[in-house]
Amino acid sequence: MTQLTEKNRFWRANWGLILLTAILLGVGLANLYSACAIRMEDGIGFRPFYQRQLWFTGGGVLCMICAMMFNYRKLETLAWPLFVLSLILLVLVPVIGKEVGGAKRWISLGIINLQPSEVAKISMMILVSKVLSEGRGNLGWKDFGKAICVGLVPGLLVFAQPDLGTALIIMFILGGMILFRGVRASIVKVSLLCILVSPLLMWKLVYPNLKPYQQQRIISFVDPAAASKDALFQRNQALIAIGSGQTWGKGWMDGPQNNLHYIREKHTDYAIAVYGEERGFMGNVILLGLFSLFLLSIYATIRDAKDRFGAFLCVGVFFYFFWQILINIGMVAGMLPVVGVPLPFFSHGGTATLVNFSLIGIVLSVSMRRFVFKSA
Amino acid sequence: MRITPESDNHQFSKFGLLLLQGFVLFLFFFLVLRFWYLQILRGEHYESQAHSNRWKDAQIYANRGLILDHNGVILAENSPAYSLALIPEDCPDIPATLAQVSQWIGEPLLTVEDNYARARAKNRQSFAPLILAPSVDFNQLAVIEGQQMHWPGLVILSRQRRYYTHGSLFAHVLGYVSIASDDDHKKFPELSIGDTVGKQGLEVILENRLRGKKGLNVFEVDVLGRQLVKSVTTMPKGGENIRLSLDLDLQAAAMAAMGQNAGCIVVMEPDTGKLRALVTAPSYDNNIFTARLSGAEWSKLRDDPRHPLHNRVIQSVYPPGSVWKLLMANILLSMGVNPEETVNCTGEIKLGNRTFRCWRPGGHGRVNMMRSLIESCDVYYYQMGDRAGIDRITEQALKSGFGRLTGIDLPYEKAGLVPSREWKRANFKQAPGWQKGETYNTAIGQGFTLVTPVQMAVYVSSLLNGGKLMKPLLVDTAEPEVTGLTPSTEKERQFIVEAMRRTVYDARGTARRIIRTDAVMGGKTGTAQVIRLGDVRLRTEEMLYEHRDHAWMVSWGRKNGKAYVVVVMVEHGGGGSSVAGPVSQAVYRHLFREDDGPVREILAAGALPGEARQDAAYIDDVLRAAESWGVARGARPEISAGILPGRPAVRP
Repeated sequence: MTQLTEKNRFWRANWGLILLTAILLGVGLANLYSACAIRMEDGIGFRPFYQRQLWFTGGGVLCMICAMMFNYRKLETLAWPLFVLSLILLVLVPVIGKEVGGAKRWISLGIINLQPSEVAKISMMILVSKVLSEGRGNLGWKDFGKAICVGLVPGLLVFAQPDLGTALIIMFILGGMILFRGVRASIVKVSLLCILVSPLLMWKLVYPNLKPYQQQRIISFVDPAAASKDALFQRNQALIAIGSGQTWGKGWMDGPQNNLHYIREKHTDYAIAVYGEERGFMGNVILLGLFSLFLLSIYATIRDAKDRFGAFLCVGVFFYFFWQILINIGMVAGMLPVVGVPLPFFSHGGTATLVNFSLIGIVLSVSMRRFVFKSA
Repeated sequence: MRITPESDNHQFSKFGLLLLQGFVLFLFFFLVLRFWYLQILRGEHYESQAHSNRWKDAQIYANRGLILDHNGVILAENSPAYSLALIPEDCPDIPATLAQVSQWIGEPLLTVEDNYARARAKNRQSFAPLILAPSVDFNQLAVIEGQQMHWPGLVILSRQRRYYTHGSLFAHVLGYVSIASDDDHKKFPELSIGDTVGKQGLEVILENRLRGKKGLNVFEVDVLGRQLVKSVTTMPKGGENIRLSLDLDLQAAAMAAMGQNAGCIVVMEPDTGKLRALVTAPSYDNNIFTARLSGAEWSKLRDDPRHPLHNRVIQSVYPPGSVWKLLMANILLSMGVNPEETVNCTGEIKLGNRTFRCWRPGGHGRVNMMRSLIESCDVYYYQMGDRAGIDRITEQALKSGFGRLTGIDLPYEKAGLVPSREWKRANFKQAPGWQKGETYNTAIGQGFTLVTPVQMAVYVSSLLNGGKLMKPLLVDTAEPEVTGLTPSTEKERQFIVEAMRRTVYDARGTARRIIRTDAVMGGKTGTAQVIRLGDVRLRTEEMLYEHRDHAWMVSWGRKNGKAYVVVVMVEHGGGGSSVAGPVSQAVYRHLFREDDGPVREILAAGALPGEARQDAAYIDDVLRAAESWGVARGARPEISAGILPGRPAVRP
């Protein structure tokens, strides 16, 4: 067994992932630049989001480097304390949280607003990685139940904030990680039954407890005509923006739907609509290619990892990005209900940016340390 | 730190790794496919949506052309009108807004909702204002403007509304404009919802000249509806202003002369066919059609027993009565009847067991053709009509402009009826063929024959203008148009014209009512029986209104080279002379009101053109007649004294 020194560890990092991150970052920032620009008679003004995102990106890159340097294996011991901390933060949100638009999701930390749900996402991934990396073979009922509980507790707390999007992401990440590990046939059967029954359950129990705007979003997806004018307008304008981009797009900074502000929330959840309008179908294919390569480079680290905990961490990161990309673009493109899920590298958001880069840093950390083994 | 060592050959389950690859593949192809659908397959569709999203065009209304009278007085103009509309896409709460609108304009909510639903159904374009209240008055407007900002989506539209300055006076000539119907939209694709279009009268006939062309204002708007780029792409082009040949003062005078009667008046220039007055009474105010017309108002107009909506000049057909004798005389002259040949009128003539009476009990004695016209002897025409035969009458009547449209520029003109043997065979299958008695009746303008007043005006004009059937013209600038020539010679026409003159000036003439000393006049009266009364003769006052005879008076007057034909028809008026006469006389009083004195004085000054000099031959007749009516010879007649007082009404 080859023992490699710590010195050339840096060069063994997943450079493909770094490159793709850099490209996506550039594309995303350019898009945000266009989305935040306000054309006026005397030049261009900017909404503050672009400037702030630059700062977040800087912070994010720092986080990424820290995470790279940090030996991810220490996370295994930190898993439980981190998880408990995130739960405390989540519980604190309703008490000391800052209310924005009818939902309490943020805790003000002076410079930035911390989003405990993002912290919970990470700590959940770490703890689930720990749970899943123990044992061999397909998952038994006990470990399955443990993993489900680890996901469900923060998931429900986030759902209660209410933040349907993040709650769903948490559950989806959990599901992806469990699927990757593989489960016993009996669990598959029961899960399938649950999946079949849950829509009914959702309709009877969950739906009546949703906030009106959340109900509205679901209705607007299921039955667009019954939706409020507003929800419909937002959805339609995004579709018009994307569709009118046609093959080659209107050109960067030149999308009329963007410039005349027909696209709402274009600096956050609907950023891809601006991109679709200005870059067209070709731009979208390239972007989806980039996202796919990005995911595949995470996949490469998983495949090459020799450490189960590290590998499961990367699987969590994989699904973290995968679901956000799928749900966000699927939603803007009118294939999925409107749930508040940001698009990595494209949507403005402080905590999300820091988390994104930290997670990429963890993957890089895993890739750097894939040849280091120590005997017990 | 204790770290579980991994064996070198550790592998995750194949399934897990394949799963991740599969997820990535799914993500890529699923979303690429969706984008392909949105951007390639439906790209054009979304592009056009994006375009109509931000490029709004507002039509700039073109002014509809004015309609002026002969002297340039405005008869139809455009006044600003305001309507209240709703842009549903901008309105957060449509039911509440509709309720508020109903309160403002004082209309039931159902009406407003109905307007909204109808406009909605018609208009598929988004962000188009849908008209809730087509006309909002100034007081309502002030209230609404004050509160408009609280009701997003509500807009006040200003547009032109047609206004007829003299309402009922020209209602039947001008017609009216109204909101375009579905049929109008098919006919004129350039119209948009809520546009007005000519529906009646000249407004519909001259639609293309009056309408003009709308301008288009295209501008880019942002999501809040703020206009960013404003550019007028096309300037509107106003419609043509059209001057009519009608004269407002004359029209007013003629309408006044009709008084409470139902009937109509046509004043035509015989040489050009230009109409100077075209009166139908009773009339209606055509302005009510340009605003909202309530169902009650409409049914009241429609069901009025006196039919104010009917344009009697061109749409009503009447038996011509004795006026028809003018044509009959022409027919007789054409077939070579010697005008001096006399018929003995005993007051009646027997045909089998039927008796055909002359209007004058006891008869006229021996009458030649001239007398028969002057005194309107029926027996002469029973006999002579029989000699001419129905075929000849039919043929010449058709050639003289009866039984066909005159081509006047008004919609829904009727052709009337000239009966013939074939016509009777086709329409009365059970009855025997054409009867001699029917020829008798046809000869005196009774029976089946039906004419419109405007046909009569065209025919009388043809007597004066050399036999030309002129198209009656309403537009002043229109070129005179000859639609046919009557089969008559100059000599024949002169004979009839002379007979008409004598009918006015002869001591026993039936048209003495219109006698004037300052102009040369000619006329012929007619009394068209509405029902056959048999042997009983009732006085007009004793008869039911609907049973009373129609009174005709066709006439011409000439003064200082200007000639006019005046046709008066008073429905159920009774005698032609006694009822239609004063009406005609009032029209002439206005026509010849110019203060250029009586004909004689002008002649003395030697300043008259040739045509008027010709008339000089009549002057002695005029003055003699004037004397016999008690006007001193040489006295200057009052301008209003066209008719000489003091004579009992004479039935023609």
